[in-house]
Amino acid sequence: MKPLVLLVSAMWLVFGCSKENKFDEREINLISPEKIAGFDPINASDRYSGNETGKVYEGLFEFHPLKRPYELMPNLAESMPTVSEDGLTYTFKLRKGVLFHDSPAFKDGIGRELKADDVIYSLKRLADPKLNAKGWWLLDERLAGLNEWRAKYALLDATSYEEGIEGLQKIDDYTIQMKLKKPFPQFLYALAMPYTFIVAKEAVQHFGKEFLNYPVGTGAFVLPKFEQTSTITYVRNPKFREKFYPVEGEEGDDKLGLLADAGKRIPLVDKINVHIIVESQPKWLSFMKAKEDLIEVKDVNIQQAITPEKELKAEHKEKGLRLIMKPMLDVTYFAFNHEEPIFKNRKLRQAMNMAFDRSGFNRLFHENTGFEAQGPVPPGLGGNRKEFKNPFVRYDLDQAKRLLVEAGYPEGRGLPTIVVQTRSDTVARQQVEFFEKSMEKIGINIDVGTNTWPELVNKVSKKQHQMYTMAWGADYPDAENFLGLLYCPNQSPGSNGANYCNPDFDALYKTATVLQDSPERTAMYEKLNESVALDAPWVFGFHRTDIYMAQAWLKNFKHMEFNHSQFQYLNVDLEVKKQLSKKF
Amino acid sequence: MKENSLWKDAFGRLIKDKFALGSLIVVLAYALVALLAATGLVAADWAKEVGGSNLPPSAEHWFGTDIFGRDVLAKLIRGTQIAMSVGLVTSLIAIPIGVVLGALAGYFGGWVDDVITWLYTTFSSIPNIMLLISITMILGKGIFAVYIALGATSWVTLCRLIRGEVMKHKEREYVQAAEAIGGGHFRKLFIHILPNVTHIVIINTSLQFQFAIKSEVILSYLGLGVQGEPSWGTMIDDAKLELSRGVWWQLAGATLAMFVVVLAFNLLGDALRDSLDPKLKGK
Amino acid sequence: MIKYVIRRLLYLIPVLLGVSFIIFVLFNLVSGDPTAVLLGKNATARQMAELREQLGLNKTLLQQYFDVVRSAFTFNFGTSWATKQDISQMIIQGAYPSLCLTLPAFVFATILSLIISLVAAFYRGKGIDLFVRIMCIAGVSVSALAYILFFQYFFAYKLGWFEISGFEYGFPDFVPFVALPAIIFVLLSLGPDVRFFRTVILDEIYQDYVRTARAKGLSEIVVLLKHVLRNALIPIITYVVIQIPSLILGALLLENFFSIPGLGGITLNALNSSDFPVIKAMAILSSVLYILLSLLTDVLYTFADPRVKLK
Repeated sequence: MKPLVLLVSAMWLVFGCSKENKFDEREINLISPEKIAGFDPINASDRYSGNETGKVYEGLFEFHPLKRPYELMPNLAESMPTVSEDGLTYTFKLRKGVLFHDSPAFKDGIGRELKADDVIYSLKRLADPKLNAKGWWLLDERLAGLNEWRAKYALLDATSYEEGIEGLQKIDDYTIQMKLKKPFPQFLYALAMPYTFIVAKEAVQHFGKEFLNYPVGTGAFVLPKFEQTSTITYVRNPKFREKFYPVEGEEGDDKLGLLADAGKRIPLVDKINVHIIVESQPKWLSFMKAKEDLIEVKDVNIQQAITPEKELKAEHKEKGLRLIMKPMLDVTYFAFNHEEPIFKNRKLRQAMNMAFDRSGFNRLFHENTGFEAQGPVPPGLGGNRKEFKNPFVRYDLDQAKRLLVEAGYPEGRGLPTIVVQTRSDTVARQQVEFFEKSMEKIGINIDVGTNTWPELVNKVSKKQHQMYTMAWGADYPDAENFLGLLYCPNQSPGSNGANYCNPDFDALYKTATVLQDSPERTAMYEKLNESVALDAPWVFGFHRTDIYMAQAWLKNFKHMEFNHSQFQYLNVDLEVKKQLSKKF
Repeated sequence: MKENSLWKDAFGRLIKDKFALGSLIVVLAYALVALLAATGLVAADWAKEVGGSNLPPSAEHWFGTDIFGRDVLAKLIRGTQIAMSVGLVTSLIAIPIGVVLGALAGYFGGWVDDVITWLYTTFSSIPNIMLLISITMILGKGIFAVYIALGATSWVTLCRLIRGEVMKHKEREYVQAAEAIGGGHFRKLFIHILPNVTHIVIINTSLQFQFAIKSEVILSYLGLGVQGEPSWGTMIDDAKLELSRGVWWQLAGATLAMFVVVLAFNLLGDALRDSLDPKLKGK
Repeated sequence: MIKYVIRRLLYLIPVLLGVSFIIFVLFNLVSGDPTAVLLGKNATARQMAELREQLGLNKTLLQQYFDVVRSAFTFNFGTSWATKQDISQMIIQGAYPSLCLTLPAFVFATILSLIISLVAAFYRGKGIDLFVRIMCIAGVSVSALAYILFFQYFFAYKLGWFEISGFEYGFPDFVPFVALPAIIFVLLSLGPDVRFFRTVILDEIYQDYVRTARAKGLSEIVVLLKHVLRNALIPIITYVVIQIPSLILGALLLENFFSIPGLGGITLNALNSSDFPVIKAMAILSSVLYILLSLLTDVLYTFADPRVKLK
């Protein structure tokens, strides 16, 4: 026994030291704070699976990595499409010479060229009733004939992709015509989302149920097989087409060094390692030990990163770290379930809005980096007017109490205890506890209901809740994506979990959302945003700020809301890394 | 009487053992605190804001304040009530089931034994943590689910121990004698045999108590535990985020509170076994 | 002998049926509806109904029970709700990292505990014994989370002795990653192990044969190692073997904090995403393993110690 003990302890002593950082490989180390389920684009519903899917797969369009406000540029499409006058027919030209990754799914294992059939196949796959894709809502009631095709095969044993669809026509190998049922101005955004990334039919058939573990895309990086490891390693795609770093960006990008690689062929690195780290302590410690190049700073770590003046702390500056802070396109809210009789009372909803101590909340949970939401639409999108101040988004207990009297519940008498449903993690629970304490001050009793994420979704989609709290991040940069949260036909199980219904709002929403971007539409969005804000359908929360810290040697990182396509542009400066590493 | 002297003897030895005595006092003190908290005599206003957010320990607030400026000590006391009640209710569920089933199996043997053995083998085949997770996950959250889950897992050990002990006693002379004077099964089992196996219940309970307390902490950490009330588990859970801010007092407080009571129960359990288990006599 | 093994094997069947039944009751009768979870935030009511059909939620209860029983024998657990991955594959992939962490730690902890408890038994009632006992109890009385948070910060970050998080396949690549969690694992298991071993050893020490051995003039160490240990080995082996199923589960918290992609992490993730089929699979798997292992120990005894009577 003794030799064994000695052996084991010797083993630990010999190997039990951490590894040194490497300086010879052009690699980038990133963190994913959540486990990745798989690599099937049609199910890439959350930001983190989208980010991983986007390293391997590509869509017809992508968001320009530098220009703001966000601008689409053609990717697998050769150019922007031609659109018919009625806004219903789109004609797309595909880029030639785009190759799929090599894979045993193809003949001789060599990736073939991407053609029009692949695009049509990929979009149909999103609608395949047998696959029940999480992204189906994106095309639901959009393309002519697609819903009918889906409905037909829902009843049959197997889906046939052979059957043509009016809305998806191949003109030739590099030309596709898509026809919409009704105008959908956000359609091109939809074609830049991970859901619509292009897959190869051979790969889907060859790998069958295991397809989600064998991504075969056209992207800048290759991942031959996905396994549930703690590190996902992508290597440069040797056959990647000629694609170049953009030569122009937003004003000021030049100074930030974001144009240093302008015109160079991408990708600029050989390898991307994505480390899956769930807990916040190891995430932070790994970054501070320079094992990671980039970290999304969240919750309590914000205080460790920045001073109250929102500057990077001196100890971090000394190590050359950079702070990237940008407002997010999101909104947080405490939603009422409007099917509950008590919440039909507008005065009650307004009173609760005024009793919510937003500045205290902002200080405790966002380190004052949040912006108080005046309505659903975040700044940076047409529809949000800077000057608009919601009179009910103001902390005023006296006014709140008066409103409560007018509502018929003086000092909260007559109101039941209201359960606010939220997620069960620590911060989510504490946030509702804070809300509870705020409401206590005007005599309203709140209870915290904690749930796993699926339980919460389940409760909301079955209307089994009184209130719940959530954050909504933009799918694409259009106010429609936020206003839709209060559109009656979207009510549960759709995205309008508040089940808010307002005929005036709905009528204007319907008119506005089929219009192309124009001053007229923006004015309508503004009206929608402001009128619904005054009706207090939610207790409004915040538009949060994204905070990143990057190591000095990570180049070309710019904050991006829809960042799944951004990773192909990153670069690393090994000289800087070598020099600075001594400081860690 | 034989039993009387055994108990007296054991108690005498327990008192002499300074650690055991200390542990007993600690356990009683915790019980008292829990009782006072339950009746609302102390820490009833734990939810009140008493100062700024995350204040370090001071003369006024021995364990500082939490993120909402609540007194951590008051939360600890409130948590004591949760912890002790989890231990108590779990025992109240586990003891009747374990003792009755164990006694029946050991006494009657035959098919009764087969069925009961099958039952506890089945339960013990599912690893504790899986059973705990499954039950709380399915019953929904809250202290009620924690009680049930812990009760469902902890009767098994007791049942097995009682069964073995009852089997041994069944053959003893005094039981044979009771049979001779015409006692029924019920009388023999409950009047004669059970009092002689109580020490097993006591030893087991003191160990079970600390297991329950520790399990509550793990379950609360997993988000499956107590809701809307401070428990040591949720306090430790909060701490995992606060620690990086340099807020260590909530973790320290909850860990210390748990450490002392678990230590006390363990020492007490050991001491009880040493003094009550005749096999170890003469040590 | 063979007859005994066969009988013991046959006994597996009712136990497995029982385990399947408990799991069936827990997961099929009481659990919720997964469709909203599976379809995400923009589901339609129609889509949900279609999915319910596909998942076989419309099957009769008896059919559902048989499905559970079948999976206990075939290890075919279906597909995860949350990840849409094949569960058997997930388990196979996760077992390796989990075992890299728990197996060496488990062996090390067992041997160390045995040595410590022998020392304690040798000096029973003296200062060392008391010290060991207090330390062991004190060790387990601190929450695992406190160890993890502190050790990771201090030993991995401040001192840089170990990797902070992650995992690499193959020996010895994984060693720097699992060393620290393994040390914590050992620390956490020392307490209960030593307590149990010490009790078992002390039980033996007061037996008559020990007195006889001593009377023959054998030294205390020889008595302890040669006679006492051999006899105490049976309960010790039982205790050790039945812990193995929980090793497969990995160490939930350790794996999560050290980003080891093992079964513990899978279980925890499943828990957070209400992924019932995965939890169910883990419960079935660990139970089956437990049953097989306890059978194995029983059989092993009869080889090791002819005195053990087979009933």
